[in-house]
Amino acid sequence: MATPRYLATYSPRACKKCNDIHTTSAPVAQLRSFFTGACQANWKQNYAKREAKKKVIHEYVGENAERTTIVYAWGAADSGALGIASYLRPNLKDVKRQFVISKINRPARVRFYDKQNFKALKIACGHGFTVSSVNFQSKKFLLGCGINTDSQIGHHEAPKGSGRIMDQLIEPGRIRLPLRKPDNCDVVSMACGRAHTVVVVEDEGVFSLGNNAYGQCGRSIVEKEDYSKNPTINRLTDLPDDVIKVVCGQDHTLFLTRSGQVYSCGLGADGQTGSGHYKPVDHPVQVKGDIDGERIISIGSKADCSVAVSDKGDVFGWGNSEYGQLGMVTDQTQISTAVHLPTPQCGRVIKAVAGGSLCALLNDNGQVFVWGYGILGKGPKLESTVQPSLIPEPIFGHNELNTDTKVVDIDCGLTFLAAINDQGDVYTWGKNSRGCLGLGEDKNQFFPWRVALPAQAVDLSCGTDHMATICKSYT
Amino acid sequence: MSRPLQLTLAILKPDITANPSVLKNVWTRILENGLYFVSSKHMHLSSDEAEEFYAEHRGKFFQNRLVNFMSSGPVWCHILCGDDVIGRWRRMLGPTKVLKTVYDEPESIRGSYGLTDTRNCAHGSDSDATAKREVGFFFPEFDFEKWYKEEHQLFQRDLVEFDPHLLQHIAMPDIHP
Repeated sequence: MATPRYLATYSPRACKKCNDIHTTSAPVAQLRSFFTGACQANWKQNYAKREAKKKVIHEYVGENAERTTIVYAWGAADSGALGIASYLRPNLKDVKRQFVISKINRPARVRFYDKQNFKALKIACGHGFTVSSVNFQSKKFLLGCGINTDSQIGHHEAPKGSGRIMDQLIEPGRIRLPLRKPDNCDVVSMACGRAHTVVVVEDEGVFSLGNNAYGQCGRSIVEKEDYSKNPTINRLTDLPDDVIKVVCGQDHTLFLTRSGQVYSCGLGADGQTGSGHYKPVDHPVQVKGDIDGERIISIGSKADCSVAVSDKGDVFGWGNSEYGQLGMVTDQTQISTAVHLPTPQCGRVIKAVAGGSLCALLNDNGQVFVWGYGILGKGPKLESTVQPSLIPEPIFGHNELNTDTKVVDIDCGLTFLAAINDQGDVYTWGKNSRGCLGLGEDKNQFFPWRVALPAQAVDLSCGTDHMATICKSYT
Repeated sequence: MSRPLQLTLAILKPDITANPSVLKNVWTRILENGLYFVSSKHMHLSSDEAEEFYAEHRGKFFQNRLVNFMSSGPVWCHILCGDDVIGRWRRMLGPTKVLKTVYDEPESIRGSYGLTDTRNCAHGSDSDATAKREVGFFFPEFDFEKWYKEEHQLFQRDLVEFDPHLLQHIAMPDIHP
């Protein structure tokens, strides 16, 4: 007589581990082995196995393994500035990718660089576009993605010869600068404004692309020039050869030379060019005022206020002061020459940045000071101060266990601030416009909070509503 | 009979005209709020034209940068129409000072997309008289009296259809009165 089917399912079976039939009723034993992964009879063996496993040390990373470079970006994605094409080009077959993602409020890995095997070296974010310099097999390129309505990331024709010029790139495309060695675009410094990009290339000079309505590209202003689909790339000739840093405000550009002089061009309606008047400057001129004779080591500007730091640790500022950015020395709303900002409580300052309504500075002890108007990072309310005040160091990871941890770099957007400490942690705070803080939430952040980056941040750049970092993997 | 519809001039400034996705969002907001596009124009102002347009601000400290900014790139000009459209469009925009608006009224157009006080997304007329003057400045061919005589009725009865290519509502005469 054949065994009925339902009985066959419950017939006693040999144990998988010990190949023996146990006396416990079969269904119970099966269930128990299902949940615990083994039958109870050889718990001793299993215990021994577990202990043995603990003794083995797995070494996944070899001694010669190289730490890979990863690019993370977050914030407004609908401009294409993050360089993640799948956000804007949905895949109907993939359940997770059926909708356009217009903003992302957590760090998103830009896989373009991994797929192409590009190693990102520097990155700069503007208003809805991102420019990065990459290394690929001993060649160095410049890439750009995002809005291109003012040709700020170059002239891109696709398909070639069709006459179809792209005014938005959702994945990085190569920016071809007119270089003597086109494959060796060794970028010293680059910066992006509202609609222009300025790049300093080693041994080649300073190049500018994009909108020149105020002369921010350092060439003569042409009335009613059409900047879209405009292939013009300008090489600035009025500057000294040793430009080491460039910083872009929304519509102006500041240049820093190795000898510590500051040059500027672009919109001067708030005096942000520091040239002594309020007219646009179309060819770079040296910034005037208290800055004369000082050796400047750091400059900063994101909107209409500009700041600079000298090698002695003195801070200078010029431009817009409607929100008290320069309020410690003046009540005026606009200043067209550089003025010295006394900051005796801040120690030796090494870097200063200025956003739309707030400013921040960093001293050589890794302390961050903030002033201006907005969410300064000192508590759950809007603040307006004219004197720099310290953000407590423990917020940035400095505590009894990590006494050496300090902030090494700061950057700002228009209404938010960001800092990196020497552990490679990124902290952001301020107005969270379209998820640009990367904290996984859309709320404003009233004090510095660590971004959950799964890698060590090396370089950071803030745009107006997005942010990008270059990171090194931990192993 | 409800009160007559108002007309206003809306200018989308160069900062959002350069940003296709934001531009689309702003137009969507206008349509979702039930405003009608009577006419639309894409243009590039010269600095002289911009200075003439902002003649009322002559002498104020921000006039220079306003004029500079308006002539820095192409802009979109719209004649909007609707009930109390002047007030509604200005409420949709939010206050002028963007760096304060982002905290006070973050849901408004300026609070969401504005950059700084000068680069504040858009312009709206502040009264009937200014609306008439500003519409005349940008749309010299637009005839107020003719519009009120011929098309106003149709807009009031919602007998219009939106044409996304022309970016304006087209009056559809009622075939079944």
